[in-house]
Order: sequence, then C-alpha cells, then structure tokens
Amino acid sequence: MLLLAGWLPAGSIVAWEVVLFNRDVRPILSDNCFECHGPDAAKRKADLRLDTGAPGQAIINAGKPDKSELFKRITHTDLEERMPPVDSGRVLALGDIKILRTWIEQGGKWEKHWAFIPPSRPAILPATNSAWPSGAIDRFVLAKMKRAGLQPSPRADKETLLRRVSFDLTGLPPIPREIDAFLADASPRAFEKVVDRLLASPRYGERMALDWLDAARYADSHGYSLDRRRVMWPWRDWVIRAFNDNMPFDRFALEQLAGDLLPDATIAQRVATGFNRNHSIQSEGGVINEEYRVETVVDRVETTTAVFLGLTFGCARCHDHKYDPISQREFYEFYALFNNVPETAHVGNADKLADKPFVKVPSVAQRKQMEWHRAKIAELEKKSEAEEQLKTARKALAALGQALPTAMIMGELSPARKTFVLSRGQYDQPSGVEVSAGLPAALGQWPAGAPRNRLGLAKWIVGGENPLTARVVVNRFWQMHFGTGIVKSSEDFGAQGEWPTHPALLDWLATEFIRGGWNRKAMHKLIVMSSTYQQVSRVSPGLLEVDPANRLFARGPRFRLPAEMIRDHALASSGLLVGRLGGESVRPYQPPGLWDDVVYENVPRFVQDHGGKLYRRSMYTYWKRSVPPPNMQAFDAPSREVCVLTRAKTNTPLAALVLMNDPTFVEASRKLAGRVLRDGGATEESRLTLLHRLVCGRRPTERELDLLSGALAEFQTSFRAEPEAARRLMAVGESPHDPVLDVVELAAYASLANAVLGTDEAITRN
Amino acid sequence: MTLEHDNAMMQTRRQFLGRTSAGIGSVALASLLNPRLFAGLVGFPNFAPKAKRVIYLFQSGAPSQFELLDHKPALAKAHGEVLGSEFFGGQRLTGMTSGQKEKKVCKSIYNFSRHGQSGTELSELLPHLGRVADELCVVRSMQTQAINHDPAITFFQTGFQQAGRPSMGAWASYGLGSESADLPAYVVMISHGSAKRDSQALYARLWGSGFLPSEHQGVKFRSSGDPVLYLSNPEGITAKRRRRILDLGQALNREHHERLGDPEILTRIRQAEMAYRMQTSVPELMDTSSEPEHIFDLYGANARKPGTYAANCLLARRLAERGVRFIQLYHRGWDQHGDLPRDLPLQCGDIDQPSAALIADLKQRGMLEETLIIWGGEFGRTVYAQGGLNMAKYGRDHHPRCFSMWLAGGGIRGGTMYGTTDDFSFNIVENPVHVYDLHATMLHCLGIDHEKLTFKFQGRHYRLTDVHGHVVRSIVA
Repeated sequence: MLLLAGWLPAGSIVAWEVVLFNRDVRPILSDNCFECHGPDAAKRKADLRLDTGAPGQAIINAGKPDKSELFKRITHTDLEERMPPVDSGRVLALGDIKILRTWIEQGGKWEKHWAFIPPSRPAILPATNSAWPSGAIDRFVLAKMKRAGLQPSPRADKETLLRRVSFDLTGLPPIPREIDAFLADASPRAFEKVVDRLLASPRYGERMALDWLDAARYADSHGYSLDRRRVMWPWRDWVIRAFNDNMPFDRFALEQLAGDLLPDATIAQRVATGFNRNHSIQSEGGVINEEYRVETVVDRVETTTAVFLGLTFGCARCHDHKYDPISQREFYEFYALFNNVPETAHVGNADKLADKPFVKVPSVAQRKQMEWHRAKIAELEKKSEAEEQLKTARKALAALGQALPTAMIMGELSPARKTFVLSRGQYDQPSGVEVSAGLPAALGQWPAGAPRNRLGLAKWIVGGENPLTARVVVNRFWQMHFGTGIVKSSEDFGAQGEWPTHPALLDWLATEFIRGGWNRKAMHKLIVMSSTYQQVSRVSPGLLEVDPANRLFARGPRFRLPAEMIRDHALASSGLLVGRLGGESVRPYQPPGLWDDVVYENVPRFVQDHGGKLYRRSMYTYWKRSVPPPNMQAFDAPSREVCVLTRAKTNTPLAALVLMNDPTFVEASRKLAGRVLRDGGATEESRLTLLHRLVCGRRPTERELDLLSGALAEFQTSFRAEPEAARRLMAVGESPHDPVLDVVELAAYASLANAVLGTDEAITRN
Repeated sequence: MTLEHDNAMMQTRRQFLGRTSAGIGSVALASLLNPRLFAGLVGFPNFAPKAKRVIYLFQSGAPSQFELLDHKPALAKAHGEVLGSEFFGGQRLTGMTSGQKEKKVCKSIYNFSRHGQSGTELSELLPHLGRVADELCVVRSMQTQAINHDPAITFFQTGFQQAGRPSMGAWASYGLGSESADLPAYVVMISHGSAKRDSQALYARLWGSGFLPSEHQGVKFRSSGDPVLYLSNPEGITAKRRRRILDLGQALNREHHERLGDPEILTRIRQAEMAYRMQTSVPELMDTSSEPEHIFDLYGANARKPGTYAANCLLARRLAERGVRFIQLYHRGWDQHGDLPRDLPLQCGDIDQPSAALIADLKQRGMLEETLIIWGGEFGRTVYAQGGLNMAKYGRDHHPRCFSMWLAGGGIRGGTMYGTTDDFSFNIVENPVHVYDLHATMLHCLGIDHEKLTFKFQGRHYRLTDVHGHVVRSIVA
C-alpha cells in the first residue's frame, strides 16, 4: 500500500512522509470544519477560521501536536469537547487525524488554495526511459507511475489507435480506406498525418461542440412548463464553426461572454452570446416574471463560473460560500454583470418564440434572396404602373423576413438595472445593500482599464492572470481523451474539489495552452501524440487492483462512447449517415406517444421527419428538455436543463435494449448487411471481415470469424425457413433495401450486424 | 474527508462490481452469478425499515382540499363574502387571480361524512376510500413553497424548484437498491384524467436522477406500444433469433474481455442478459389477464383498460409483489381553475375506487404493512373562487400555504387525521407538514435517516431534504 502514497487521495490510511497542506490537509478541513470555521462569516463559530491561516490563531503549536489546541480538540475524549461536534454528522477518520498530526509536526503552515495560485511553468523532467519517449506529458506521467512502482503499457496496435483517435477528434469511426492507408504507412509520421487529417476535418468541430453544448445547456425547447420550440441552433452552428476555424479559446470565450459589447459587433458575435441565453425560460401563465428572471441570472452566474473557472459560485447566493472565499456580497457583485439584460424571462404559447433581446440570422442564401427582393422593390417603386407587382414583391420580402431564424442574444439595459444583495437569495427580498459589478477578491483584480461589464469580465477570464481558466479548460481536454480529468471534479476546482493527480502536468499544460495562444487544436494534438495516450488499454488483474480507475495512466484510456457517438457510429458504419453540417434540428425516429404522455394538452406533438433528416448526426436531434431523445438518454445524455461538465457512463439494461431494438439500430443493421453483401467480395470470410472492420475498425481474429460464421449459418437456415420474417425485418426503418440482394441473406447478415453493433467493443473507444 | 467519494464506502454494488472488481476475485464472480442487480449503499437502511417500498400516487394539477379532504363547514356561512387584501397578509397569488377584483369565499358543494371506527372525515366524492378510512392518515396541514405547477411539482419530486436535482425515487434507488432481479428499482406510470380541461405538463426531470448516476432514474412503463421503451424485438426477430443474436454478441464480448481484461465488459454482458429477461418479465407483469374476476371487481371496470389510473394501480400492486422499490403513478387533470363541479367528480371517479382497491388488495396479501402509499398533488387551492361565484362552474386558483394528502400502509398510523387549518383553509393552525417533512418521513419509513442519504456533487453534500425536514413522528406507527 505504501507504494500508492504518492497518489491516493487524502484521507487514506497511509502514513504520509511529507504532508502537503493543499493536497492532504485542506480537503480534510474543508469537508469537516469549514461549515462552521470557513469563509461564511455569518455561520462562523468561535471566530475561528480554518480556510485561511490567519495569524494569531493560536491553535497550532508548530511541531507539537499534543500542545496544539486543534489537535487536542479533534482527539478530545470528552464528546462535548470533541470536534467536529457529534451532531454535525462528520467524523474524522483515523487517517485524517494522522495527517493532521503529521502536518502539525512538520510546522502546521497554511497555504493559499492551490487553484487560486496562478500556474507557474514547471521544469520538464529529464527523460528517464529511453524506451518510452517522448514529450513533456510522458515525462510527468512516467515520473508518477514509477513512484507507484508501475510501468507504462506498450503502444496500442494501429487499428485500435486509429479508431480511438478518430472518435476522440471527430466522433466518428475510421472507414476501411483510412485504416488501410494508416496500416500501409510505415513512416514515423504516419500517426501524426492521421491526427492532422482529423483535426482538419469539419467533423472535428461537431465532435468538440458536443461537450460544449452540455456545458452551455443548449436545447431546442424552452424547458419550463409548455416547453415549446425555440431557435438557438444558429448559436450551435457558431460553436461548430468556431471549433473548425480553430478560433483561439480566449476569443471563443470573449465572443460568447461579451460579443455584443465588442465595437461594431457582427451578427455572428452577437449570436455567440447565446451561450448565456440557452437557459430554460418560463411559459406558465401564473408565474411572476421577476422570480424567473432572477433564476436566469443565477443560472448564468453558475454556468459561467463552472465552465470557465471551475467554481461553484451558486453556493454563495443565499449566504457566504461555505468552502471557498466567495462572500454573498461578492456573489451579487458578479451577478450584477449578468443582471442587466433587457429580457422578460417569459415566453408565450407559440412555436419558435424568442425572449428579447434577439437577432435575426439570415443564411447566405436568405440574405441574397432578400437583397434581390429589395433591389426589385426599389426598381418597381420607380415605375408607376407596377402597383400589383410591387405588392407581391413586398409580400415576398416580408415572408422571407418572417422565416429568418431568430436567435436569443445578450444585451445591456440603459440605464443599468440596480443590483441588490438578495436576502436568502429570494427574488422578492432585496436587502438594502446595493452592489456594483466586481470580482471576488480572492480570485484577482479587475483588469486595469477594462470596462466594468461582461467585456471586462471576459478579458479577465482569458487574460492569463487568472489562475483558473487555463487549468480548467485543459483539464477538460484531458478528460475528453482519458475519461477522467487530472482534476477529477472537473466542475469544481475549489476547496471541495479533488486534488490533481498530476499537479505539475496540469500546470505545464495550462501554461503551454496560454503560451501557444490558446490554440485548442494544438493542445489536442499534443495530448494524442503523447505515448501516454497511445498505450494499449489492456489491463492486468494486478494493475486493475493497484489503479482501478486508471488515474496513473499506466494503460491506455478505455471508456464507453457518449450517446451521440454510439448512434452516429451505427449510422456511419452502415452508410446511412448524412453528413450535412449544421442547420435546424431534426426529428429522427422515436417511439410514438412519448410527448403525449406528458406535454400540456394544447401544444404540438412530435412529428417525425423523413428522408435524410433521419440520418443526421445525433447532435442535430431536436432536444426537448422535458422529453429528451430516449435512445440517447439511455446512454447518459443529459436533459440540458442545467450545465453539465461530466457525463455519467452507466451500463444498464435499458441501454442494451436500445442497441437491440431501436429502429435506428435495426435499420443500421440491415443497411450494414446490404453494404457487406455489396462491397464485401464473394466469400463469406471477406464479407464477415468487412462487417467486422466497419463496426470494430479491425480485422476479426480466427476465433471471431468462427463465431460469426457459425451464427451466420444458423440465421441463414432460420430465415430460409421463414422468408416472410426476413422481409419484415428488411422493412424496419424508412430507407429502402437493395432489391437485387437476396432477402434471406440480408436478414441473416442483418442479425449478425445487430449483434456486432451491440457489442461492448463497438460502443467503446478501446 | 472520506476516501475518494464514490469508491468502496459509497458505491452501489453494481458499480463496485462493474468498475473496480477484478481485485476482488471470487467475490466478484459469485456476485456475477447472482443476478441481484444492485444493492444499495453500505450501511443502508440505517435502521429497521417500516416499509420496503413506496407507491406514490401523484395527483398532478393539485386537487382541491375543500371538496375532498379538508372539511370547512364554516364556509357555508361565509360563502360569497368578499375577501379584502388584509385577509391575504402578503400571501403571493398567481398571475391568474392576483388581478381579480373581487375574491369571494366559496364553499364546497360536496358533503362530508365520517367513516370507519376512526371517524375519518371524507368527501362524498370518495366513497370507496371511506371504506378503507381506518387505513388512512389524512394530513390536512401540508405546505409548500411554490405556487405554480412546474416549480411546485419539481419541488415535490426533487426537493428543489429548479431542474437538476435527483427525484425522490432516484434517491430511494440510490440508497436502497433494487430487490428485483429483472425489473428496475424505480418505475413510473402515467394516466390521463377524465377532466375535460387541459392537463398540466410533466417532465422527465420529475423522475430523473439529477446528479446521481443515471441508472437510478425512473423507468417509464407505458400502456401503449412497448411497455418499456425498445423492449420488443423488431419485426422478423423472434425470441429464438434474439437469443441467438445475443449469444453471438456475448461470445464476442467474452473474447473482448479476454483480450482487454476490463471488468466493465462483464457488466455489459450482465446488463444485456437482464435486458433479455425483461423482454419476458415486463410483458408478463403488464399482462393482467390472469388476474381473477374479483380483483377486477375490486379495482373497477377501468382496470381492464390499459393506461387508466385503475389499470396502473393494479400494475402497481404487481410491481410491488415483484420487489420494485419505488413505484410512482402520475394521474393528470386536477387543475380545476373552473368547471370544478363538472371535472372534479370525473377525476374522483378515476381514482377513488382503484386507490381504495390498492389498499385493500395489498392488505389481503399481507403487503400493506410493508408498502407505504402516498396520495396527493403539488399544492392546494384557494378558498375564493376564481372568476365569478357561479356554483355550476366555479373553480379555485393555486394555494401553497395548506393542502391535504393521505398516506397509508407501511409505517403509517392509519385512521388518523393530522394537522388543522383555519376555517378558510388559508393558514395552518396546528402541526404544519412541509414537503421536506413529508420527504423525511417517507425516507424514515424506508429505514433511512434523511440527513444521512447524501451525495457529494460540486463540492456539496446534497440530500433530498436539503438542510430541512423533520420526521413527523405523530403519523408514524
């Protein structure tokens, strides 16, 4: 067990040699003591503060735990005197007490919370393993691994690696041609070429947008009550394009937080601010709008701080934060930045309603059409006899204007709305304390010369002085590629968050990100080019016991694909996928009656789309918050009612049923069968090989071929005896089946495809 | 600080097996062979439970307490009086009647009488419930924070008015796990009321898992189409072919596991097997044709019509028999802003006999004492009529300060009336029961200390009752 001492989280029953305040002590104090002895001034007991080491607190006698009041109290035999109090429900574990003892023995010094100290660029460790190169990432990872007595795993085979990186960077599996090309490329730059190709693909933007849509709680409906359709997809398309253009992250953040405040803001820059209009909006008849307007502003504060700063500001809405240095007053100073939108916070009962402020977003084609009509009208106006024509042209122009998508954006009221501290966070209980926009003192200073509005805030967030943003963002890059962040609590870098497994690596990545101009493609490339990323994901029982969650990265990351990718994979491997980028959301298959069960009775019901719209990438599926797409919910897709920065990865029978029976997957199975019969050559072996390559991205083993072949023979016999069943199976889904192909063969291969598409390997990036 | 929060101490057995099991060796293997899907948290229940499960009969829209459970004879005299603003004492009104000029006191047009040995007072609209009155604990002093449907029902279901928190069923599943090998721990069924008015909406978040692992979310059982989404095999795939497809998939999965060693693959194998079992167990559960005639007599003729509240009550009993932990029915249509005399009897006709039947049926099977039943809506209704005082068409607006519910079964003291409201059922006079208190009491009956059932998310230890809630000891047996 001692081997693990370097990485196990605090509180473990491990005798620490050197205790670090931030790694080992703060988590114990935060979880057990801060509620009464922390940042919340109103609840503070005995005027004792344990989140900061205020001088003059004579509770530590450096080097002498037994003479330190703190240690005496946590070990007191009298339960009345013992801390934490019995009725708090908190109990210090033996390991915690040992850590506190060692800490006092070693001097008992406080440090500022690690995440509030700006990252400094750590020296890159010298290479110690000539067999396991290569870059900075690997050296940090290897050093830690070695301390735990572990060795890196070998590089994954090329097929696995290609599939892994293709999903990670584009959300789609590699096609056989790409696999062949990579296998044939013996050059040392072969993998790098693949990575560059993927980063340049327009699919990159779609894949990266996926996580951002969760963070920004993007949806196609208003959420509350009637939950009717809204039009925010222009914002979603802005995000995809920004990723594909490799817009630097600082610009990406700035435009979404304050694009409307930029000089001569373009429509695109205003659309970008939809980030903070994606929240739910009320439509219930009897509500008080101000109540929901306050909820909306709070939502903006919570989302913005979680996404960019990794902090849980929301806790300070009703009282000073219990764990982090954010007072209630400071919460409202931050809130003031988002409290000035000229909005109603209510929409009525009709489709595609937008709450103000909003902007009409014409497409290129629409803009051209409108210009053409305007020119035509101008021309007709000069002629006196064209009265009728003029009327028609004006009508046409008006109709075009009506049809334009209307996206909600941010804006500023003038004069500004006053902000008061709200007693207990209640909308109708403003205290007498008026506040103006500002930052919590513990986080930094308002940048000199920057305006006291969202633009100034955005400049501070990405200004490079701020200790959190770069760390929080690179941690999510890491989470994307390794399943878990270096800081596991990727939404909480505060006192209650988790200590980073590799603090130096995190800081190196953060500083590298800033140094490189917030270049996201470069960071993704850096990570996937590392040997750490490229390891095989095989795990021995021994390694599994030592590091079950792969926090030391002594093996390759392996985890189930996100919901959208599972569906996209089925569509792609069967050839059904329609690759159009962006646009209005679509409504592919869903079980009938789902909306009827729950929606308010006089609002429209689900109407399924047809044709190509059935096969768009899953991120374009119409997202109704009260009834999210069920086949994606089964794989942990969120409802998008609140900001989500980490999705669960559950493993349930309901998910298995989706893979078995959802028409999407059944149709994909039969289309895949057709593809295999058409393109798979003449022999059974070549066909089975193609099937396996399309789904798993690698050739099957002998054993797998045997299993497939054995099952195939049985399905052929079974469907030959009942061709009607084969025909019925071939009728699932709206795409036609190839009439040239034998329906019995199709059904037999479709059954195989259904099995393979549902395997663990198929829905996992290995 | 505990160990990494979601490791051994706080893990459900299923995660434990699925994610961290290889080192456990033979224990894991034995558990794999045992199809019990997930047990709850270590240390739960915290004490001997009174009830093993909950059947929560949610009446969406908010039934009026005046016409059903909270008899106010004094209103006969006050009927038609105009309430001045001083009466409301700052109570917030909804946007629907805050601007109404005259708010006139409105009596109930329905009579009340006493039932059973306990003399429990019930409306004439609930004759069947009258026959099981001695099993009921009528709480007339419920109170909530919200005054509009969406926030109020979200608050009732999750302890918070805005989206994002786990629902009470998800908490129960998380804490206690499932007792069923082939059914989910938390099942939801929805029925449409007979009222002719628009029904308020429901939302997936009401049975969602919030920040808890999503396997704890409620699974909707449906009356038309697949009873569980994607349960049926596609056209052309018989059960035999499905088995063969599954066998192939599982063989490939085992190959894959041998290559990679990740125990998550074994969990995947197990979940697919459970899915296959559900293809049999769920239709078997939903098929009530084998129920004897006297059972249909008990629940009423509607119990033969899939999707009705009566049919769902019968299914609730069948789910309870099979060990489902939290069974939640939603019955829609209780939002009587107007036309109460037309619609309320229809709604009561939907629920009266089946609710009473459920109690009697569980009782005759010896299951009532281990099943907690809760009936009620998201808030109460106003003493004044919305719009005019036309007794053929009157209705009432929303009122959060007091309303009535009833409980029965496991852990509850039957034949009691708890709490008192004033003559106008405007304020609680005695023994208020907040929604948080109801949550705490419900968890208490399940053997859970509501302060101990927590989950750390974004640095906070969240619980269903937030920082509130008291067990209402007086109604607990």
